[in-house]
Amino acid sequence: MDPRLQAALDFSNYQQTFSIQRKTLKEKIEAKLTYGFNGGLFRIDSNLLTFVEMLSTKRSGGVVLMDANNNPILIDNLMDFKDELFSRYFEATVEYYEKYQQLKKSRSVEKLISQ
Amino acid sequence: MTIGILMYAHNSQFVDYALMSIISGGLAKKHLAVPASLVTDLSTMEWMQESNILQKANSVFEHIIIVDRPVTDNRRTLCDGKTQAVVPFVNSNRASAYDLTPYNRTLLIDSDYLIFSNRLAEYWNVDQDVLIGQSINDIYVGDRLGYNDRYISETGVKLYWATTVMFTKNNTSKIFFDTVNFVKEHYSYYADLFRFDSRQFRNDIAFSVAKHILDGFKSSAVGTLPPVLTTLDTDVLTSVDHDRLTFLIAAPLSEKYIPTSISNTDIHIMNKQSVIRHADQLMEML
Repeated sequence: MDPRLQAALDFSNYQQTFSIQRKTLKEKIEAKLTYGFNGGLFRIDSNLLTFVEMLSTKRSGGVVLMDANNNPILIDNLMDFKDELFSRYFEATVEYYEKYQQLKKSRSVEKLISQ
Repeated sequence: MTIGILMYAHNSQFVDYALMSIISGGLAKKHLAVPASLVTDLSTMEWMQESNILQKANSVFEHIIIVDRPVTDNRRTLCDGKTQAVVPFVNSNRASAYDLTPYNRTLLIDSDYLIFSNRLAEYWNVDQDVLIGQSINDIYVGDRLGYNDRYISETGVKLYWATTVMFTKNNTSKIFFDTVNFVKEHYSYYADLFRFDSRQFRNDIAFSVAKHILDGFKSSAVGTLPPVLTTLDTDVLTSVDHDRLTFLIAAPLSEKYIPTSISNTDIHIMNKQSVIRHADQLMEML
């Protein structure tokens, strides 16, 4: 086989494993960014974080937020809720970053699947 | 309120569902930190005794509930990588979960669903009486799924995946499970109505039709659990090393396999034989 084609096929194999590893990593992080609270289910993303941060400057007591299913959920203590959201967000995104860097540095299929 | 996991195991001569349920139940119990119970039949219990896994089953499961083995002529094609066989499939009594569960809030899972995270724990207190896996999520990044993995038929409604079901024991969930039973008892009628194949009973279809009816004959994203991350039965689990599972993923339209691995992620492994081949390593994790 032409070595150029062999190199392309080898890279293709690597790329397919890389894509699946990236997908399952993202899946793991998505799981960490799901937060069940007081009967509601929240997806921790930049929208929720920004909105809660803004609310916390206006109000410190109870507020009502729409969860992922658009159900109104009472948040008794907004500050505690905010702290929990940010804590989970930082933990998940730092892990995402670190694992993603490890993936990017893995230049072979063997190294990719050991990450 | 008591919470816990419920699973079913009815062995066939081809698949040791009892062994799989011990692995799956043990992992779920460990990672979700709640008790698990098993619904099984006498012949499967006898097999557990004979194969020396009954003691392990007794340590994993809080309750082992014996029921009559469902009478069914259900058969399906089960692949183990590139080989395949048509095997009997005894799994038609999951709608009895409402009556059999010892818990107020139950997570019902298939024995080929391995839980390695606490993701589903976020759903225990969600204010929904019945939740079901919203879809299948193929581990492969390309598109290996067919229309019948997403809808119950070409002209039918959305297919939910009963691999994971969570419910609270109350009137609403009783109506849901009664409806699943009604669909099961009138499977041919609903197959004609929704244009799906009635020759093989599928829990996923009965649960999907029930959800569709109870959602007011429309599709609803409310009442769903996360998409079920899945390796197909053409994929092969090749090694288990601590909490890392390595697979060969069958590339579509090709003889090629793509290696990949996962850790700390819940996974539905359709290739049951490849789970059984690694039973010893998986049992060490419990």
